[in-house]
Amino acid sequence: MSLETPKTSLDVKAEILRAVASLAQKPPATGTSTSDLSIDEELNLHSIGWEPVELVSGLSVFSAPAGMWNWGQGEIVAASEAHQRAFNNAITRLNNEAAKAGGHGVVGVHVERQVYSTHIEISLLGTAVRPVGAKPVEALHVFVSDLSARDFTLLMVAGWQPLGLATGASFVYAPRRSVGTVLQQQSQNVELKNYTEAMYSARETAMERMQRDALALKGDGVVEVKLFEGPMSFASHAVGFAVWGTVVRLAKESHHSVHPTAVVSLNDVDVAFDSAVLA
Amino acid sequence: MPPTDLPEAAQRRLSESAFSSALNVSDFAACVEMGLQPVGLVQGFCAMQQGMYAMGGGFSRALSPYGGSQGGYVQNYQCPHGMISNEHRMWGQNYQQTWVENAWMEGFTSSYSRMLEEAGEVGAHGVVGVVDTVTRLTDAQVVEFHIYGTAVKVLGTPAPTTPPWSTFLAGQRLSKVFEAGFAPISIVASIASIRVWAYCMTEYLMGGAGMMWANSSGPQEIDQVVTALSQARFIARSNARAQLGSDSLRGANLQLAEREYEKGDLEIQAVLRGNRVRRFKEFDPLAVPQATVRLS
Repeated sequence: MSLETPKTSLDVKAEILRAVASLAQKPPATGTSTSDLSIDEELNLHSIGWEPVELVSGLSVFSAPAGMWNWGQGEIVAASEAHQRAFNNAITRLNNEAAKAGGHGVVGVHVERQVYSTHIEISLLGTAVRPVGAKPVEALHVFVSDLSARDFTLLMVAGWQPLGLATGASFVYAPRRSVGTVLQQQSQNVELKNYTEAMYSARETAMERMQRDALALKGDGVVEVKLFEGPMSFASHAVGFAVWGTVVRLAKESHHSVHPTAVVSLNDVDVAFDSAVLA
Repeated sequence: MPPTDLPEAAQRRLSESAFSSALNVSDFAACVEMGLQPVGLVQGFCAMQQGMYAMGGGFSRALSPYGGSQGGYVQNYQCPHGMISNEHRMWGQNYQQTWVENAWMEGFTSSYSRMLEEAGEVGAHGVVGVVDTVTRLTDAQVVEFHIYGTAVKVLGTPAPTTPPWSTFLAGQRLSKVFEAGFAPISIVASIASIRVWAYCMTEYLMGGAGMMWANSSGPQEIDQVVTALSQARFIARSNARAQLGSDSLRGANLQLAEREYEKGDLEIQAVLRGNRVRRFKEFDPLAVPQATVRLS
């Protein structure tokens, strides 16, 4: 396969002169848009005929009973439910805001989650995008994805489409052993079977819930799954698992191979200047 | 030279023939390649006292609960229980702290216009690679806004007749902005500040004790807080949009801060920054980028 030269080789100097000259003219009455994508991401979108429309957000805060973290067995149902419902409400709000702005989907969604002993907060922020000049669609048909615009482009070029975010969570009580067992096992190297089983099942439960979301969206699979797990800082015997990822479906008849070309970079190793990091 | 109120040292520095620049070598090289000639590092400052505790701040709960708005978003919440007690919060309010927003915007725009004044002094067409910082100075209530960037002239064009344009971008990324068909207009910043006075339900729910008051067994959404957080993002975006005219915002960055004074008593701040850009040619997509695998 030969290396192709770009379609057009732009003369940047000429473009800049044209841009500067245009500033003296009356600004065109085009629609405004907002976006938190990088310029590279925007150019990626341009290459497949998509454009950013609006910076959109969706969030939810759910209350959870304060005392539930300390004593019990099995799953902490109220916490799992609060997490799931907060996530779903945040996604719905993001969907609605994007649809209202005329977007067909939201890419590059940043997910922020805070789990406190008394409430759980989920906050989503991303950029609504659409095929250039496309008409608005219903919120139901708007996809939400935490893939970057670059990954979104690659996915589309390969013949796949994102359908939405799938998420699952499971909070469990870490089992307590009897005093006798603790003393008995104190000097042994031994598997704590009740621990293994509890963690195993909690992790599987979270994954299963995510998978259920993906099936409900009629997806073929989930990509870029993120898994967060660990103890709760405020409760000594509680562990939480949360997963989410982008549901995708093959939109064309078959996967289209992107045939990457091997390149050897002749660049010196250096770090590019980034004015943002100085802020 | 027109009279200015720039400090004497600034005028002396800018009038000398040598230039200074905040660009690193790669960005400097990229600018020269694009036909942008750096002519000087330009900057603006403004130290502000935040009037948080000023009259009208409503900082004390003893002040009127329905103090009304200061010209911004305000929403009231009423206790559903019909209880009267000193300890039961019978009312709640979300309100936009417009005086906090105004102080912040005054600090930002003053230092920004001072930077532009310096850029005008050296005859620049634009300012690239802008960096803006907001830092506490000497005392908790004094905040300094500092904005600086590199003033550039566009080679091969007449002296500017309009105020200089500005952008947070420099180097290759700036070059790609032009390639994408956008001309930089200015940097944009906006802020939203919202205070939440919790009413009884918000207080209980944020404290994890909502179940017995709400007559419900499952977890519940905390409406007052959700609304306040959503409004903060919405107001920050609307305030930025109000500065755009018919242009667009690119490379936006939304920073959120939240502070809880008591259960459900929150202060929420959202700061949105970005580049205002104007389309100067029709949408013209690039070829689909060639996928590569790097052999290192």
